[in-house]
Amino acid sequence: MTDTIRRGDLLLQVEGLRANVEGKKILDGLDLEVRAGEVHAIMGPNGSGKSTLSQVLAGREDYTVVGGRVTFRGRDLLAMPAEERAREGLFLGFQYPVEIPGVNNVYLLKAALNASRKHRGQPEVDAFEFLALVRDKMKLMQMDEAFLNRGVNEGFSGGEKKRNEILQMAVLEPTLALLDETDSGLDIDALKVVANGVNSLRRDDRAVVLVTHYQRLLDHVVPDRVHVLAGGRIIRSGDRTLALELEKRGYDWVRQEAAA
Amino acid sequence: MNVAVNAPGPLTRLAPALPGLPGGAPWDEWRGCALARLQALGLPSPRDEAWKYTNLRLLERRELAPAPPRPVDAGALEALVPALDGARLVLVDGRVAPGLTAGVLPAGLRVTPLATAMATLAPEALAGGFPLPGDDVDQRVRLLNSALLTDGLHLQVDGELAAPLHLIHASTGGGAHPRVIVDLAPHARLTLVEHRVPLGEAEGFAAPATEIRLQPGACLEHVRVQLASAREIVLDDVQVQVDRDARYVQLGYAFGGQLARAETRVTLAAPGAHAELHGLFMVDGSRQLDNRTLMTHAAPRTTSVQVFRGVASGRARGVYDGKIVVAPGAAKSESSQSSRNLLLSPQAEIDSRPQLEILTDDVKCAHGATTGQLDEDMLFYLLSRGIDRATARGLLTFAFAEDVIAKLAIPTLRRSLEERVVRGLPDAELIREFV
Ligand SMILES: Nc1ncnc2c1ncn2[C@@H]1O[C@H](COP(=O)(O)OP(=O)(O)OP(=O)(O)O)[C@@H](O)[C@H]1O
Ligand SMILES: [Mg+2]
Repeated sequence: MTDTIRRGDLLLQVEGLRANVEGKKILDGLDLEVRAGEVHAIMGPNGSGKSTLSQVLAGREDYTVVGGRVTFRGRDLLAMPAEERAREGLFLGFQYPVEIPGVNNVYLLKAALNASRKHRGQPEVDAFEFLALVRDKMKLMQMDEAFLNRGVNEGFSGGEKKRNEILQMAVLEPTLALLDETDSGLDIDALKVVANGVNSLRRDDRAVVLVTHYQRLLDHVVPDRVHVLAGGRIIRSGDRTLALELEKRGYDWVRQEAAA
Repeated sequence: MNVAVNAPGPLTRLAPALPGLPGGAPWDEWRGCALARLQALGLPSPRDEAWKYTNLRLLERRELAPAPPRPVDAGALEALVPALDGARLVLVDGRVAPGLTAGVLPAGLRVTPLATAMATLAPEALAGGFPLPGDDVDQRVRLLNSALLTDGLHLQVDGELAAPLHLIHASTGGGAHPRVIVDLAPHARLTLVEHRVPLGEAEGFAAPATEIRLQPGACLEHVRVQLASAREIVLDDVQVQVDRDARYVQLGYAFGGQLARAETRVTLAAPGAHAELHGLFMVDGSRQLDNRTLMTHAAPRTTSVQVFRGVASGRARGVYDGKIVVAPGAAKSESSQSSRNLLLSPQAEIDSRPQLEILTDDVKCAHGATTGQLDEDMLFYLLSRGIDRATARGLLTFAFAEDVIAKLAIPTLRRSLEERVVRGLPDAELIREFV
């Protein structure tokens, strides 16, 4: 667990991933490689399978994996239960974070952090250290401390929920963060705050995968690779200029070229 | 109502117990009448609609006769119930235990122990009269309570009582048949906290009856915590009369009992009367908890709210059977009823039956019921943060229950109930850190 990760190490390898939900084929032979130090953006039309990919990687059991392989840091990801994936350093920022009234936000954060630390053989943080850490990260996210003592996402606005996802990410410091449309529903200032949060996580030994519909996030978090997901697979990959081109021309041309 | 013919059952064994009960000849006669009526009706049988979910076989073999007086140590009691501000009254096996009374009774509260009063007052002269239960609804539990009436309290409140009044029902085994009568004068206010706790693990049976009468503008918050042992049967019967602009709020938390049934009947008798019933019940093992309500809107512009949450695990069984009746002429009344239930195991069962009987136009009634497992989206969210499955399930169960506990204004009580909920969950240690 303590083996160090170096820039360029393969973190996530998805090969020919196929997944169904309720008998419906959604992911259909998807390949993706993410290396330490990289930021990837996944774009694609509505309903193409982006959230499905994120949820399958995070371990949601409603989706049935019917083919392919996924390794995370060389280990079989699909064999691990969701909670173990999280403790191994995989983080999913939800497109629609759920409200959990009655489960306190700050306690969840502390329990989540300690679960990972325990998994890595590190001592649990005490209440004092933890509070200092959270305060620090909340400042980064420009969040009011009042959010700490509310139920998880309870009564949060759409934008506040997204900030809360990034706050959790900032506290947990995952090796690989999958952020599913974290930029959707954010005002201009909040977008910058979230982008800052993501950038602060960028390091040689970590990677970020952003699922997004808009170039505007990518102005702040510049990706190394951009992928187009359509019909359940990656049909084109390129550098950041691909995102700019998609913004101008839409998806049809990519689909046509891929079909040709 | 179906009438069951009972073979030599628990009722036939009761006659010898009657003469030893308090009060003079008028009371003996009164109890005798109640017993005769009950014998004619018979104990409930599975053919009675209102009892079809209840395992009555347990009743057959149970000793119903009142337990003899037994001394109880105050320390044992205090270990089981949280200390609250305000005075404390205790009934042990349905009998007033003056030695366990604590605190100073506030001005504005008059407490009359019934057994003492029964020695000098006839049934029609005590606490506004003790009519025998009628035939309008199934009142066999109340008849049983009458037939074996042992003691109890008449609480009269005039004025606004700031501190809660704590009433503890402790049981040491055997039968308990107390009556509690609560009279609030116009604009009086009281918070009454009732705790039912077992002292030991003896087999027991309780059929307590409560009578609440709220005069115009009065306000009663009635907290009921039921922690009976797994060897006790409790058949609880609460009757509430709410007058003009008066307000009755019941917060019920039921955890215990081998078989526990609580029936609350509320009559909103005059315009502006309001009642709320909030209930949480949690049942495990092979135990049964049965909640019944009858909310009668008898006058125009009356309002009522019912929110029940049930949790069942193991092979346990829970029931919420709630009926709202809006009588003819009760126009512009509003009522709502919500029942949400959580099943934590495949063999657990909760039957939820919200019912509406609207006999007039121009009313607003809403009701809904759901029974299901833990929310998958919430569960996955917690797992995706590295929380293990058992803890995640426990946390969500706690959150479900907390909804009703949060209604309590008394922090000590809230904490003791939270602790009770946590104790019943798997991975209590982990969950305790959260709360
Ligand atoms: N639980 C489900 N039951 C049935 N269909 C589902 C379920 N989950 C996803 N789908 C379907 O799978 C397809 C892919 O959905 P997914 O949410 O992955 O798309 P997406 O690329 O994230 O879209 P968007 O850009 O709108 O967020 C859609 O057609 C969707 O309706
Ligand atoms: Mg999506």
